[in-house]
Amino acid sequence: MKKKYFLLFMTLIAMLALSSCTGGKSGGDKVTLTLMGKRSDLQKSYMTSIFEQYEAATGNKLEIISYDDVEYETTASEKFANGEVPDIFMHFHNADLNRFDVPNNFLYLNDEAWTDDLTDDARAYCEDKDGNLLGLPYWENSVSGCYYNKTLLDSLGLKPASTQAEFDVLCQALAATGYTPICWPASDSSWMIQFALDPIFADNPELLDKINRNEISYADIPEVTDMVQWVADAADNGWFGSDWTEKGWDNISPDMASGEAVMTFIWDTWFYTDLEKGNKYSIDDFALMPVFMNTAENGTYEGGNLNMMMVNKNSEHLDTALEFLAFCADKKNYNVAFDGISTVNCFKGQTTNIQSRMVTDEADSIEANGRVSTAASRIIGYSADDVVAAFGELFNKKTDVAGCVKLLDDYRIAEAVKQGAEGF
Amino acid sequence: MKKWVGKALLPFLMCMVGIAAVLIGIIYFDFISERIYEDSTDHLEEIYGQVNRSFGAFVERNWGLLDGWNDYIRLNSASPETVSGFIEKEHEYWGFSEFYFLSADETGMTIDGQRDKMDLGGAWNDLREHGEPVMAGDAVSESKDITVFAVPVEHGEYNGFGYDAVAVSYTNADMASSLNVDAFAGEGKCFVIHNDGSILLSTQTGGNVFGNYFMYLNAASDLDEQKLAKMRTDWENETTGLVQCKIGGVSHCILYQPVGYQDYILLSAVPQSVVSAGFLSVQKITMNVFIVIFLLLGAAVFALIVMRNRRQSRITRTELNYRERMFDVLSNNVDDIFIMLDSENQSVDYISPNIERLLGIPAAEVRENIRVIEKCAINFNVVIPKNVLEEIPLNGNKYWECEYMHQNTGERRWYRMTIYHMSIQDVKKYIVVMSDRTLEQQMNQKLQEALTAAQSANEAKSNFLSNMSHDIRTPMNAIVGFSVLLEKDADNAEKVREYTRKITASSHHLLSLINDVLDMSKIESGKTSLNVDRFNLPELLEELSIILMPQAKAKNQKLKIDGGQAPREYIIGDKLRLNQILINLLSNAVKYTPEGGKIEFIVRELPQTAQQYVNLQFVVRDNGIGMSEEFQKNVFAPFSREINSVTNKIQGTGLGMAITKNLVDLMGGIIRVKSKPGQGSTFTVELSFALAEQDDMQQPSNENDHNRPEPDENVMRGRRFLIAEDNELNAEILTEMLGMEGVICELAVNGEEAVKMFEKSEQGYYDMIFMDVQMPVMNGYEATRQIRSCGRPDAESVPIAAMTANTFAEDVRNAMDAGMNGHLAKPIDMDAVRKLASRLISGKESRSEKSE
Repeated sequence: MKKKYFLLFMTLIAMLALSSCTGGKSGGDKVTLTLMGKRSDLQKSYMTSIFEQYEAATGNKLEIISYDDVEYETTASEKFANGEVPDIFMHFHNADLNRFDVPNNFLYLNDEAWTDDLTDDARAYCEDKDGNLLGLPYWENSVSGCYYNKTLLDSLGLKPASTQAEFDVLCQALAATGYTPICWPASDSSWMIQFALDPIFADNPELLDKINRNEISYADIPEVTDMVQWVADAADNGWFGSDWTEKGWDNISPDMASGEAVMTFIWDTWFYTDLEKGNKYSIDDFALMPVFMNTAENGTYEGGNLNMMMVNKNSEHLDTALEFLAFCADKKNYNVAFDGISTVNCFKGQTTNIQSRMVTDEADSIEANGRVSTAASRIIGYSADDVVAAFGELFNKKTDVAGCVKLLDDYRIAEAVKQGAEGF
Repeated sequence: MKKWVGKALLPFLMCMVGIAAVLIGIIYFDFISERIYEDSTDHLEEIYGQVNRSFGAFVERNWGLLDGWNDYIRLNSASPETVSGFIEKEHEYWGFSEFYFLSADETGMTIDGQRDKMDLGGAWNDLREHGEPVMAGDAVSESKDITVFAVPVEHGEYNGFGYDAVAVSYTNADMASSLNVDAFAGEGKCFVIHNDGSILLSTQTGGNVFGNYFMYLNAASDLDEQKLAKMRTDWENETTGLVQCKIGGVSHCILYQPVGYQDYILLSAVPQSVVSAGFLSVQKITMNVFIVIFLLLGAAVFALIVMRNRRQSRITRTELNYRERMFDVLSNNVDDIFIMLDSENQSVDYISPNIERLLGIPAAEVRENIRVIEKCAINFNVVIPKNVLEEIPLNGNKYWECEYMHQNTGERRWYRMTIYHMSIQDVKKYIVVMSDRTLEQQMNQKLQEALTAAQSANEAKSNFLSNMSHDIRTPMNAIVGFSVLLEKDADNAEKVREYTRKITASSHHLLSLINDVLDMSKIESGKTSLNVDRFNLPELLEELSIILMPQAKAKNQKLKIDGGQAPREYIIGDKLRLNQILINLLSNAVKYTPEGGKIEFIVRELPQTAQQYVNLQFVVRDNGIGMSEEFQKNVFAPFSREINSVTNKIQGTGLGMAITKNLVDLMGGIIRVKSKPGQGSTFTVELSFALAEQDDMQQPSNENDHNRPEPDENVMRGRRFLIAEDNELNAEILTEMLGMEGVICELAVNGEEAVKMFEKSEQGYYDMIFMDVQMPVMNGYEATRQIRSCGRPDAESVPIAAMTANTFAEDVRNAMDAGMNGHLAKPIDMDAVRKLASRLISGKESRSEKSE
């Protein structure tokens, strides 16, 4: 009982302190911060929770500016062009972020107190190539890898692979049993290519620099061609099943839950949000091993793609905005917000979230082979749609491996030119 | 039958030989395959037996080494450095991963003092309880794919670590290399498994993903439960075995053999194709040799058959060519057409080439489509109706006749179409024979026409006789009747004159009828010829006017003759016949035009391209009673007279227009009629005449003739005439009639007598001679010629007139040619006699005066 009274007392003290700090910096007036983001992103429960907590705790208001997902990038960039930059801006660290003139619009957050609380993976995701922290990651974190049906695999007398060679043998052995080794929905498979590219560029930052300066192309990197060749061979070997070219995102869940497919390249939170319930297999039947796509001998995992909250460096409410981020990064607050949410930790102090067994079981392997999402976020001109389009030509036999690599390059360069990237 | 057996025997034998060869081949290949399989599996067992022995030696060696090392360690346990150096050297030499001291609590310590928790599983019990050397997989808890070999030793201590066993560990990769399983091109998998299928180690290239191979075979192979159970039993009983199965559709050989330690089994899985690769190459070579021999033999037999068939087909083709050529030549020389049609689709298999000559259609066109013949057909559209073909039973036929017209010449031909439905070498065909029946058809037509003509002639004759009977009897009835009345009323002068007048009229009508009949008969029999000579057209018109004007005046009719549109004066033609035509037309106009009517006669010249000819049109138009349309169709037929109240009162023979038409035809002209009952008729005659030279047209003027005074009625009075007439009655009539005129007649009964009487007479004794033509002893022509040539002075000048029933123009001409001066037709018309006698006697006297 004493402990409870003590916590209540401390909370009141903290609220008073925060209230007096904010009021002091804002001259005692309540401030309204503008926050821009995708509508669906801002409707996540942990986002609305932290917003409510902030307004209740500070008396400040958040003016939420949201746009539909499909028009977000275009509309937001138009607003920026008109000088309508919000105090807080939410965006993933991907190629589209280049539209928003990050150096001139946003404050680097390297010196904020809460940065020490970020996990290495989360921080790495939010840093630019120079190590500057662009925003506060505030999102469901996840580990992407090769999730497999362990129950099924055991029943077949098979074990997960630990090397690329073993993975190929495993696919071959699985194909012999009549099961589909890998669920590969051709029309929605961009992230799979993204996973494969991570090791090439994460392990070789000089390649990333060169390709972003347009000094080399994918075609100059043998590993890219090897990866495309592996995908083509896997398709030809029947490792993706029979009607995989007709499949998309919606097919992954039934195929995995029914056991028709044994493995797929996905992320752990997907099992909580998308795996259909009541089918033959549930989340308990699945386990994690690295993704093997011929770009890393021991496979790779990709860290989460995180939505960041970035601060307008030119905002008249800059201090309040930074205080808002600090409020969000407060252990007590984010544990309330992420209570019961299935996510890998973004903050070291996260305790109320649900960590996937699949991830924790392979913590050592993830530690050894995990890589920050690099391809999608760091390669200038990278576009998920373009990747799907280029591989679509390959899958439909309209082009060969070299042609597919060339298409990847062509689309990437075209997008970079469109963005006005330097060197293109 | 024998021929069939002979033909079928060779193919049958060849088929049997082929089947036998295939069967031998199959049996041979089965045998070879079985042998190869046995050899392959023997080979597999031999190789993996060697691998198993090597593995056993490897295990034994490790255990032996451990025993030896233990002795060395125990001796040098006081010097850890020495022991460490020793183990390090052994490590480098034998290639193991770690050396372990194993304590009683299953803890392992390496030579450098690092401790690991070991887990030897069931092997630990064998090691500790039974004191047996053991081999265990995954015994090091922190490392995967590690196999440990351990031997029990007396309790010892090293660096303060008490131990009861020593062990070495190997990674599976190292183990695999030591097992030396590179045979079968590295495609064989080799596992050391427990008897439950769980895997101790694998030689799988690239690593191992198999956890339990029994479970995998259960899931991925086509082995049924019975075979799987047998295999599992073999494993538990440490029995060697070999099974074949498909894994992922690929045939594999699964060989398992006990290692000889604990429950370990060495299991190898090798694709069948790899196992038998070497042997299969031998098999392939053997098969290829066999196939080549078989193919060569087959090729030789095939070549023989082909050559034989070619020779046979060449003979057949030559024979067919001969037949075809012969048939072509034959068909080219006959007027029959031959067609062969396929029974199924009616395509043309053969068409005789003469079809182009006979119907004007190229044979190639018919070959393309039989229906092209239909454009030659007359009066029917479908030459060979499909339903007709289908109605013809096999081996039956059907025929009909039809007429065709040549496409180019228009020549018509009759064909008898006969279609035979027959089977030729089991293929049903239609043979169409188009047999030429043109001559037969033409002959039939002629016969039919002749029959029709004969029937018409017979009918005409009947009609003629019927008409003649009627038309002759009518005036004869009047003559006979009035003759009876004349006898009865002989005393009544008034009635005698009346009866005599009616008898005379009837006689004239009868005479006219006879003249017309004879004229018609002569024209139709073709005996009429034209007497073509130059004549003066205006004169002819004048004469017509003289003849017809009185008749018209008698009926108070206006007769207008307009010859002004015919400027030609002299033309060449038969004046007499033209005169006859025009008189007939004009007489009819007068006759069938009521009193006070109007008659027009117009002569005009029609355009003519040839300068030496003139086309004249003669139009006779009246406003008389006209003719019905029906009658106009027969107006030129003999004895045709329209029967109505008016015509019944008008006498006529009904031959006039027929004669006129025949004369016009004879002169190459045309005659047309337009008429309406009650409005009159218009007859138009168009004739072509040659033009006469104007200079030569000077005819002896007959002006004098016109100006000649009418003969004196008494010119014959007191004259002496010689009458040559064989018919006593005619002679009497003439004598009596001339006597009434004051003529003294002397009669001769034939020509000879007439000549004699003239020669005996004095000079100028006879003033004139009337000479019958047809007489016995000597005819009139001969008698005239003899008189003229008798040498007497008056023989040349004495007038001689023919008096004959031969009344045609030829008769007149013959009379003139014989030397006669005139011609009188019987029966004797006294007016004509008077006129002739007056003209001849006056002429004679005139000439006599001039000569004097």
